Amino acid sequence: MSWIDIGALEDIPVQGARVIKTKMGCVAVFRTADDAVFALSDRCPHKGGPLSEGIVHGHKVTCPLHNWVFSLETGEAQGADEGQVPTYDLRVEAGRLLIDASKLAAQSAA
Amino acid sequence: MDAATATATPARAFIGVSEVWVPEGDRLVHAAGDYGAHTAFEEASVRTSFGKGEGLPGKAWAEGRPVVLKGFDGSYFQRTEAAKEAGLTSAVALPVFDGETLKAVLVVLCGDDETTTGAIEVWAERDGLLMLDDGYYGAAKHFEWVSKHTHFPKGQGLPGGVWAAQTPMLMRDLGSGYRFIRSESAGAAGLTTGLGLPIPVPGDQNYVATLLSARGTPIARRFEIWDAREARVGRDGGAVLVDGLCEREGALWNEENPKRAQDWQGPIGKVLGTGLPLVIGGAQIAAGYSSMVALPIHRDGEIAHIVAWYL
Amino acid sequence: MQKLVVIGAGMASGRMLEHLFEAAPGAWDVTLFNAEPRGNYNRIMLSPVLSGEKSYAEIVTHDEAWYDTHGVTCRFGEKVVGIDRDRKVVIGEQGEVAYDKLVIATGSNPFIIPLPGHDLDGVIAYRDLDDTNRMIEAARPGARAVVIGGGLLGLEAAAGLRLRGMDVTVVHIMGHLMERQLDEAAGYLLRRALTDRGIEVCCSANSKEILGEDGKLRALKLDDGTELPCDLLVMAVGIRPSVALAKEAGLETGRGIQVDAQMHTSDPDILSLGECVEFDGQIFGLVAPLYDQAKVAAQTLTGEASEYIPREVSTKLKVTGCDLFSAGDFAEGEGREDIVFRDPARGVYKRLVLEGDRVIGAVMYGDVADGNWFYGLIKDGTDISEMRETLIFGPAFQGGASVDPMAAVAALPADAEICGCNGVCKGQIVAAIEAGATSLEAIKATTKASASCGTCSGLVEQVLAVTLGDDFVLPTAKPICACTDHPHEDVRRLIKAKELKSQPAVMQELGWKTSNGCHVCRPALNYYLLADWPLEYTDDPQSRFVNERNHANIQKDGTYSVMPRMWGGMTTPEELLAIAEAAKKYDATVKVTGGQRIDLLGIKKEDLPHIWADLNAAGMVSGHAYTKGLRTVKTCVGTDWCRFGTQDSTGLGIKLEKRLWGSWTPHKFKMAVTGCPRNCAEATCKDLGVVCVDSGFEISVGGAAGMELKETEPLAKVATEQEVIDISVAFLQLYRESANYLDRPYKWIAKTGGLEWIIAQVVDDLDNRAALIERFDISQSVYQKDPWAERATPQYERAWSPLADLTKEAAE
Repeated sequence: MSWIDIGALEDIPVQGARVIKTKMGCVAVFRTADDAVFALSDRCPHKGGPLSEGIVHGHKVTCPLHNWVFSLETGEAQGADEGQVPTYDLRVEAGRLLIDASKLAAQSAA
Repeated sequence: MDAATATATPARAFIGVSEVWVPEGDRLVHAAGDYGAHTAFEEASVRTSFGKGEGLPGKAWAEGRPVVLKGFDGSYFQRTEAAKEAGLTSAVALPVFDGETLKAVLVVLCGDDETTTGAIEVWAERDGLLMLDDGYYGAAKHFEWVSKHTHFPKGQGLPGGVWAAQTPMLMRDLGSGYRFIRSESAGAAGLTTGLGLPIPVPGDQNYVATLLSARGTPIARRFEIWDAREARVGRDGGAVLVDGLCEREGALWNEENPKRAQDWQGPIGKVLGTGLPLVIGGAQIAAGYSSMVALPIHRDGEIAHIVAWYL
Repeated sequence: MQKLVVIGAGMASGRMLEHLFEAAPGAWDVTLFNAEPRGNYNRIMLSPVLSGEKSYAEIVTHDEAWYDTHGVTCRFGEKVVGIDRDRKVVIGEQGEVAYDKLVIATGSNPFIIPLPGHDLDGVIAYRDLDDTNRMIEAARPGARAVVIGGGLLGLEAAAGLRLRGMDVTVVHIMGHLMERQLDEAAGYLLRRALTDRGIEVCCSANSKEILGEDGKLRALKLDDGTELPCDLLVMAVGIRPSVALAKEAGLETGRGIQVDAQMHTSDPDILSLGECVEFDGQIFGLVAPLYDQAKVAAQTLTGEASEYIPREVSTKLKVTGCDLFSAGDFAEGEGREDIVFRDPARGVYKRLVLEGDRVIGAVMYGDVADGNWFYGLIKDGTDISEMRETLIFGPAFQGGASVDPMAAVAALPADAEICGCNGVCKGQIVAAIEAGATSLEAIKATTKASASCGTCSGLVEQVLAVTLGDDFVLPTAKPICACTDHPHEDVRRLIKAKELKSQPAVMQELGWKTSNGCHVCRPALNYYLLADWPLEYTDDPQSRFVNERNHANIQKDGTYSVMPRMWGGMTTPEELLAIAEAAKKYDATVKVTGGQRIDLLGIKKEDLPHIWADLNAAGMVSGHAYTKGLRTVKTCVGTDWCRFGTQDSTGLGIKLEKRLWGSWTPHKFKMAVTGCPRNCAEATCKDLGVVCVDSGFEISVGGAAGMELKETEPLAKVATEQEVIDISVAFLQLYRESANYLDRPYKWIAKTGGLEWIIAQVVDDLDNRAALIERFDISQSVYQKDPWAERATPQYERAWSPLADLTKEAAE
C-alpha cells in the first residue's frame, strides 16, 4: 500500500463529503456523525450522480439525483436497488486523511 | 485520620425522638419510634392516633408537604404536655408519598436549648428558586438568620443540587476550608456534614429537606445513601450504597464494588420491602450505633433512594 | 534488597507498589519521588472533592502509615532533575539515589491551549489537588466560571463549580458533549441534564482569546465575537503524556514513553507505566488500563512472565444525578448493526453496537443498570445470537415488552399545548375524556381541539389512547419514515409543544429508532426546527438536499444551474450585460425560464463562488430557484404600459418579492401578480396569485401547474396593496408553520379541510394576522440574507474545491 496525505479530517464537514480528483475520476471522501471516514467513487452507478453531494446518514449516503442509498463501508446499493460503487482504503492518522494510492494506480493500470 | 480521631462520644444528640406514623384507614397510627430516655413521651405517643389534618403528622398528610413546628404551646401539636415534660420543644414532619398515596410520616423532635447545634431545614420552590420554608437550628442562630436570607437556584448548593439531580446528596466539610454557599456561618456554627434529600409530594411543588450535622451535637455519626432505582440496580431489585460517611469506618462508598442490600434483608432491605421508613434503636444495629433512621424516597412508582442516618 | 526508584506517586505506580509488596514483601528498597507534596490519592475522585461531595481525606489511597509499613522512602514535593543511566542514579533536587530498577510514572500534563492570555491570573488547568483547591478557593457564590472542554473532566469541573455556587458556562469545540464517549443522542440528554442544573453549554464553540485586565482574567472571547465574562477559566481539553524526563535521559519516546508489553522502556532496567506511556501507538487516560499495566509492571519486576493487553474501557461521569455509561466501540462500521432503545418519558437512551454475533459497544443514558453486563459481553466477546431480539432489555429480561410509540405523548405534561389553533392543552383533553368524551369527534365538540386545521388530530387520538387504554382503537397514521412511528403532523406539533430545539432533542423525545435519522426525516426535521425556532436553531446544511446546501440546482451531469433574482421579472441592460459576461466566462448555456428569469446552466461546482461574486458585483442576488422557499413573483406590465391594466401589478409584485425572498417553506412557493383578469402572468395556477381588478385585488391560493393541474381558490378580496402584502405574508407564514414538509400549499389546504380555517386565520382574525406577520419578520431577520454573498468568500472557495488533486500522483 502507499498512503498519500490528502488533507485534514477537519476539512470535511461532519455528515458531509469532499472530493479528490484522481486519474480514475473523482473520489468522494465522507465523514460520518461518528467521525468515521470512507472513500468511494463519486459516481452513482445508476445515472452518475455525485455521491459526495448526497445526504449522509449512519454509514450510508443517499444519491442526490434519485435517492439510491449506498453503504459507505461496502459501496453496495441498499434495499431494492442493485449496484456497486468502488471503495478505496482511507484512514486517519493524527488528524490527517491518508488514502491508499496503490489501488488508485492499480486500477488505472487495469 | 479526621474521622478516626473524632469518635469521642458526643455531649448530646441533636434529635431527641424519631417516630414513624403510618395511615390505617383514615387515621395515622404509631408504627415505630426511638425515644431514648423519654419513656413518658413514648407512652403518650403509642396510644395516640391522628386523623387527616390533626396534629403535626396529620397536618403533613393533609397539606401534602413537610412541616416544621417550633414551639408547641397553643399550636396544633397534640402531645404538648408530654413533650414539654421530656424537654422537647420543636418538631419536623417529613411525609413519605408514593405518587398521590401517603405511605408514612417521619417525625423528629428536638429539644430547644442553647447548647445543641445543627439544622433540619425544609426548602420549597418559589418562582424558580428554592427558598427556606422553615427550619430548626438549635443554637445556630446566626446560621438560621443567614439561611432565611439565602435562596438557591437549580444546581447550586446542597439544596439546589438535590433539586436539580432529584437524588439525595451528602456534602462534607461544610464549613472548613470549602465554600459551602453558607460556609462562613456554617463553619462558625461547627456544621460539618450535610445530607440533602428531595421530599416528593403530590402535585408539582418541589421540596428539599436538609440535615446539617455538627460534630459536638451530631444529628448522626453515620450517613448512608442507597440507590434503589431499577435504572441503576436492574430488575432484580435491591439497592446499592452510593455514598456514605461514618465516624468509625470513614468513607463508606466504593466506586468499583459498592455494597448491596437485598429486599427484606437487614434494615435497608426491610425499607425496600415495605416502602416505609424505619426507626430502630438498640442492638439490632450494625457498627455499634444506638439508633438508626432509614427513609425511603419514592419516585415514578418505585423506591428511588433510601437515606439512612445512625447515631 | 534490590533498590527500586519510582518517579511519580500516582494511581498507576501506587497500584504497582501494592502488587509488588504483596508478591515480594521485603524484597525491594523503594524510594518514591513525587513532584506533588503528598502521596498517592484517588485522582479520579477529585471532582467530588471539588463539588464538596467528598473530602480529600476520603480519597487518600496511601497514607503515611502505609508508606511507613512498607519502608518506602518518600521524597514528596521534590522534583527529579535527571536520570543518569550510565551510573544508574536518579538525580533529585535534594540529591541522588541509586537504582537497580527504575519505574517512571510521571503521568501527564494538562494540555493548555496556547490562546492569547492563557497565562492570566484566574486561568486554571484541572489536573491535581492543588488545581482543585485553587478552584474551590475561587468558587465564590455568584462568581462566574467558564470551562473550556466538554469532556469528562470539563463537565465534572463544571458541575462541581456550579454546586459551589458559581454561574458556569461550558465551551466545547465539538458539536456535542463527550463526543469520544457518547453519540449525539446521549450527548443531547447529558446536555439537557446539565442545562437543568443551570449550567450553560455552548457546543461547536471555538475559543479565540482570553481577555484580561491588569493581568487578571476578565472574559473568554469566542471566534464569533461572543465574550463570556468570567472570574475563573478552567481548561480541561485533554492531557499530554509527560515525557520530558525520559526523553532527556535518552529513552525512546513518541507521543509517550515507548514501552513493550512487559512495560520495559528502551532501557531494560527502566520500566514505565500510566498516562506517560505509549504502547502500540496508544496512550491512556482512564484508570482501568493503568491498573492492568500496574499488575504487569509488578510481575515484570518480580520476574514473572506477564503481558499487557489493552482492553475495552468503560466510562462513567461523576456528576450526581447524571447516569451514563459508555463502553467499547460504538462507531458504526462495516457489518455492524445498531440496536437503539429510547424511552422519552424516562429520559432513557440505550444503544448497542453489534458486529456479527458480538456486542462491541454500548452507550446508555438514564438507565445504566445493565451497563456492566453489556461491558462484560463486550470484553468477553460473548456470542449473543440466542438473545439478539431481547438483548437491549438486559440480563433479567423475560417476555416481550416493546418500545411504546405513544411514550412521547404519555410523557407530555398537562400544560403541553396539543391544539395550537384553539390553544387546547393535554390536561383539558384528558379532563374531557374523563368526563365522557371518548372519540375524536366528541373531543372536537367539547374542547375544540383539532376542530380547526386538524393537523393535531393524530395527537388527540393518541391522548385518547393513552387515557382510555385498550378502550380506544388508534387509527394508524403513516410515519415520516422508518426511523419513527410518528407522522409529520405529530412531529410538527410536538416540536412546538415540547419546545424541542435540536435534531437530537426531537429524535430522543419522540423515540426515534435510529441514532441519527435518514435522508427522509432529517431534511424535514431541519425545516421544522428552523421554521419554528428561527432564533434558537442553527440550520444544518448536512440535513439539506444538495441544491439547498450548494445554493444551486444540480443537473443530471453533476454541474449546476445559476439563476439570479429578477424582482418581479424586471431587469436592466446592465444586469443583462453582467449575465452575458458571466455566461461567456463560465461557459454557460442560457435559458429563459417560465418564472421570468434567466437560467445559466452547466456551471461547475468549484466555479459557483466565482460566478456568484461576479453577479453580486453587478447588484444581483440569488434567485433561490433551487429552494423549498419563495421562488418568483411573476408579473405582467400592469398600468405602467398595458392598456388593460387596472393596477401597478409589476410594482406590487416587486414589493411582495422583496418582502418574502429568502424565506424557507415546506415546499417551493410560486407567486404571480397580474394586472387584469386577462391573467397574462398566469396568477391562477400559482401557490398564491393576485389578480388586479378596478376595485382592488383578488387574492387566491392553492393553485398548481405541475404533475397536477389546479386552479387557485379565492382567499380574499381587498382594496389596498398593503392588505395584499399583509395577507400574503400571513398566508405564507401559516403555511410555513403548519404544513407537512414537501406538501405544496394545495395539498396542505386539502388536509386542513378546505380554505375556511385558513381564511379565518389570515383574513378575518386581524390580531392573528398581525401575529403571523410578526413571527415571519423574526424569521426573516435570520434568513433573509443573500446566500451568494455569504458564500462568495475564499473560505467557501476552498471548501467547494476538490480536497486534493491526485491526477499527477496517482500516475506514479
